[in-house]
Amino acid sequence: MNPAEIDTPVLIIGGGVAGLSAAVELSRRGLASTVVEREAAPGGRAGEFCCKAVAACARCGACRLGDLLAEAAARPEITLHTAALVTSAEQKDGLWTVELSPQPAGDDAPGPGAPLGERCSLTTGAVILAVGGQVFDPAGKSRFAHGRVEGVHSALELEAMLAMGAIGPGAMAPAKVAFIQCVGSRDAAGGRPWCSRVCCGYALRMARVIRHRLPETEVTFFHMDVQDYGRAWEEELPSLKEDIRFVRAMPGEVTAGEQGPRVVFAGPEGAPVSEGFDLVILSVGIGPPNGAGSLHELFGAAPDQDGFLAEEGPDGLFVAGAAAGPRSLNESITHAGLAASRAAARVGALLEAARG
Amino acid sequence: MRLNDCDPGFKHQVAAEPGGEGIRVCFGCAACSARCPVGANRPEYDPRRIIRAALLGRREEVLASPLIWLCSSCYTCGEVCPQGVRFTDVLTAIKNIAARAGHAPPSARITAELLAKQGRLLEVTEFENDKRAELGLPPVEQRPHDFQSILGLEPPPEGGEGEGA
Amino acid sequence: MPARVSLIWQEAPGLSGLDPAQVALAAGVELDDGGLVEAAVVTVAQERAPRGLQERLAGLPVSWLDLAAEIGGGGDAHRLARAATAVARAAGRAAKGTLPPVYAPQPAQSVLVAGAGLGALAAAWEAAALGHPVTLATPFGDAATPGADDDPQAVGLMAAQLPAQVELATECELIGLAGSAGGFSARLMGPQGESSQGFGAVFLAPPGELAPGCEIHGLNPELCVLASKLDPEDWQGPEDAWLHAAVLAGSAQAAPSYSFAAALEAALALAKRPRVQVSLFYTEARVAVPGAERLFRDCRAAGVLPMRVEPGGLEVRGGHTLAWFDPLLGEEITLEPAVAVMAEQSGAPRPAWLDNELTVKPWDLLVPENPRLAGGKTSRSGLYILGSLRGTAPGAPRRAEAAAATADMHARLTGRVVPMPAVRDQLCARCLSCVRACPHGVPQFVGFGIACSPAGCVACGICAAECPAEAIAPPGWGQPEMLAALEAALAVAPEPKMVLFACGQSGMPAASALSASGHQWPAGLVIFPLVCAGRTSQVLVTRALELGAKGVLTAGCHPGNCRSISGNLVAAAKLEMVQGMLAELGLDPEAVSFLPLASNQTRELAQAVEALAVKAEEA
Ligand SMILES: Cc1cc2nc3c(=O)[nH]c(=O)nc-3n(C[C@H](O)[C@H](O)[C@H](O)COP(=O)(O)OP(=O)(O)OC[C@H]3O[C@@H](n4cnc5c(N)ncnc54)[C@H](O)[C@@H]3O)c2cc1C
Ligand code: SF4
Ligand code: SF4
Ligand code: SF4
Ligand code: SF4
Repeated sequence: MNPAEIDTPVLIIGGGVAGLSAAVELSRRGLASTVVEREAAPGGRAGEFCCKAVAACARCGACRLGDLLAEAAARPEITLHTAALVTSAEQKDGLWTVELSPQPAGDDAPGPGAPLGERCSLTTGAVILAVGGQVFDPAGKSRFAHGRVEGVHSALELEAMLAMGAIGPGAMAPAKVAFIQCVGSRDAAGGRPWCSRVCCGYALRMARVIRHRLPETEVTFFHMDVQDYGRAWEEELPSLKEDIRFVRAMPGEVTAGEQGPRVVFAGPEGAPVSEGFDLVILSVGIGPPNGAGSLHELFGAAPDQDGFLAEEGPDGLFVAGAAAGPRSLNESITHAGLAASRAAARVGALLEAARG
Repeated sequence: MRLNDCDPGFKHQVAAEPGGEGIRVCFGCAACSARCPVGANRPEYDPRRIIRAALLGRREEVLASPLIWLCSSCYTCGEVCPQGVRFTDVLTAIKNIAARAGHAPPSARITAELLAKQGRLLEVTEFENDKRAELGLPPVEQRPHDFQSILGLEPPPEGGEGEGA
Repeated sequence: MPARVSLIWQEAPGLSGLDPAQVALAAGVELDDGGLVEAAVVTVAQERAPRGLQERLAGLPVSWLDLAAEIGGGGDAHRLARAATAVARAAGRAAKGTLPPVYAPQPAQSVLVAGAGLGALAAAWEAAALGHPVTLATPFGDAATPGADDDPQAVGLMAAQLPAQVELATECELIGLAGSAGGFSARLMGPQGESSQGFGAVFLAPPGELAPGCEIHGLNPELCVLASKLDPEDWQGPEDAWLHAAVLAGSAQAAPSYSFAAALEAALALAKRPRVQVSLFYTEARVAVPGAERLFRDCRAAGVLPMRVEPGGLEVRGGHTLAWFDPLLGEEITLEPAVAVMAEQSGAPRPAWLDNELTVKPWDLLVPENPRLAGGKTSRSGLYILGSLRGTAPGAPRRAEAAAATADMHARLTGRVVPMPAVRDQLCARCLSCVRACPHGVPQFVGFGIACSPAGCVACGICAAECPAEAIAPPGWGQPEMLAALEAALAVAPEPKMVLFACGQSGMPAASALSASGHQWPAGLVIFPLVCAGRTSQVLVTRALELGAKGVLTAGCHPGNCRSISGNLVAAAKLEMVQGMLAELGLDPEAVSFLPLASNQTRELAQAVEALAVKAEEA
């Protein structure tokens, strides 16, 4: 291998928090990298999340995206191509050669990076796949009536409503809000036998934001189990349980009532109960990345038993963030640091070998 | 109730019956209970509770319970179950065990007897076949023997009554 | 024999007109003749010193003085006297050799990893891979001994891969620590006794211990087995009966996911034994680690009975009977298990010295649950706390944490962005406000003055906001510079004038994002960027009002999200004081306020500024 053949020591596919974090960590280690983002702007999912702080920071991690974007923009070792897609990838003599092709980008997208101008081919020592996971489409659970009954929204739609201020005093003020957990998760029958890890947390944080903005609003949390998020979370749970109505039952369906959506669930006696709400929020989970199949084909990255990208792939291929399995933002950022370390070691070894 | 007095083998027995395989993976989420049309009318009928009692090994109580015969076999519960339990089939397995243990209620006995005797629940008479002829349809025969051989019942003695299942 | 101290005179603007020989004479030190010295006083701030000089002085105790800043204006005689006093004091300190490594001119590159197990080894490996000399001080006799919560195989593999530049100190423990990034001094206790050594960064990763996560008080200890100690082969039912096993997986209080997963492993292994009936007790099924939901299903398929109990709802009777209420069946269930398997949680005892030595920063301030300190960071620059002691789940998360921490360390020690704060010694009152205030442990009281570690500062300016004598500030963030900038900006702002003090982690990025998207700010608004909201002071805010501002808004991070831990709280408290003062003077206290903000809350910032403008218009 000739080091002069390398166009960029590390190529990172996906510009969400994981991809950006990998690039920043590589640059801290003194290595340059190129980030390829499909969309017109980097940021991934985190860009869609609102701040959940009420009296204090809720540790949702959403604002860390801002830090990462600023740091990535400030570090000259990082090249960021937006609106670019990988069309082919090939490994030879330990080096990857990856072809990129431009995608239509909207008019001047915000954020750092520039749209890829024309097709190009990059040779690199290591590839980090940080393409994120795919959010479950609630249409896949038609009994929860998303898109069919007004007032039923996915959690991502609620994020947007909260961020825009669409819910709160002087805006929409629902009297009763229900969250339905594990929509598209913990669902062996639906082929999704994993816990998505983040949705208990994000739903409860949003529930608290709603309660804070609208103290009169009653929030019900339909769940099976509440997952863990560190010691502070454990301490906060009891007070959340006083503030929010916790119902341990997986609802059977959401129907259209005269006043709005109705949630049908097993009541305390076991028999079905139908209760009306103004808003029903479906806490959708995280699944394997969109197009994982083609990534498998392009890079030979093996899927794990659930279809996420396995962390162990061919030499010089690394996976970071939610692409490797459900992860929170903070976890994705840290996880990407490890991928960066491995990629750096790999590139170091390649250069060493080339030197003889 | 003392768990030590229950029968841990019961759930394995149910699981070994055709249709009963799914019983053990239930995690009690209550989605089935939320949708069961029988439960909506008879609050004491709760699929999840029946599974729970069976899982805990309360064999006699489950087998003798009149509730297990209320299922309308609409399969709604199985439709919504995130664990793929197919409660309807699980209950069929339980009912088979119950019937073998002599717990079948009279209504079930009668149903079974009719089936064994007629091959179907409704008795086909001249009336039905006349109506069918008017519509240009072929007559339906009373063919209990197919059914009896599927069920492995002794062929009834000539002119005699079919044995209940 | 007294040490040979040298005054190294560098030309700097403030020194013009002063004769170095005279200063040296008055201070009683010799001018550098290029020979070897044992300690040195350099009259220029470290960040302005040429690299060659830095290299020449590497490893020496050096006092870096920015005389230019210290002696300021005044007549030559006056300046000479002040310069000589400062040099004499610094030389005395340097000569005594009492200078800890915080005085080192360059951040020390060496790294101490104190601990054992996966996290410690990973940190040592990563730091060595980044080219740092590493000392791995392990309490054990070798590097391969795992913590109780580690996978021994993974630890063995990692230990075998440790590169040669990792120096192993066995049976050695960290017993004391002072300083911050680039200049720690660590006290180590090893087989040869106590020693003291300087390091650029310190990773603390004591080996993990396992403890029963859900103690059921009153259960006969003979029935109890710890999940990690369980040998499933020990258990099987008699020929014609069932053996009942209880697995307690967070039955008093919900267990964390990694602990629940380990309990599931134990439950599954037991359930596969002949005629063993396993009941799994928990308050929440914590299945959020990879594969755990599958494992939970496998357990049930194998016959494990899920028994959800209310927190504290599992009772022990007579030492051997478990009793709980099943809400579904509406009755109490009892079980006399033949064995009770306890889920375990990992942890590590907090070393006592940590609380003693870093008393200015108690644990909750050292390792708060703050998203900005993810990846092993603590509020003290250059000190990383990893693994069990921090509460990080065993396995993969520890590996990732070590990688993130070492990358941060490397950036901090090599790519210095923030020069250390300038301390104007003759103004310093030794009140130690800065030592107490700095969240990152940068200013330390050393000898008779304040010294700063070379790579620890993040320029938050909290020290400057707290110092009553205006003696310390990160370069550029001194009171005079800030007041001058504020004055200049307000002088040209049209009426009604307003000031937005914007924190560099929240208010400023939000304001920049708004500006970039073409947001129209009120014409009279001065956006004054700060590194941290903690830099605001009463003086700054009241000065803004004196200069004609009708309203002042400080936008800082939400509580719990401040990179400097409490800069936001300090700012909010100061604004409250100013509000009180305004009220006493009969002025509108609402003219100043603190806005807690995240960098993504652009809408909230725009609204707050709009409200400020409406009020200012009215005023
Ligand atoms: C509804 C919901 C709410 C959540 N709330 C929280 C929360 O409150 N707190 C929290 O910590 N976590 C939360 N999460 C989890 C969080 O979204 C993920 O942890 C995080 O986004 C993972 O980051 P990532 O960089 O791995 O992936 P992503 O953020 O998904 O980024 C992947 C990037 O890769 C790009 N990409 C994809 N394919 C390609 C390709 N072929 N070529 C080039 N680029 C490509 C995408 O455009 C995207 O920019 C939530 C998740 C969901 C679904
Ligand atoms: S971590 Fe989340 S809750 Fe905390 S300040 Fe940032 S965006 Fe807000
Ligand atoms: S995190 Fe909570 S809501 Fe999400 S899949 Fe897991 S248990 Fe369900
Ligand atoms: S829906 Fe399935 S898993 Fe849930 S309680 Fe019913 S049978 Fe059990
Ligand atoms: S500016 Fe902040 S980090 Fe730097 S010394 Fe002062 S208080 Fe510490």
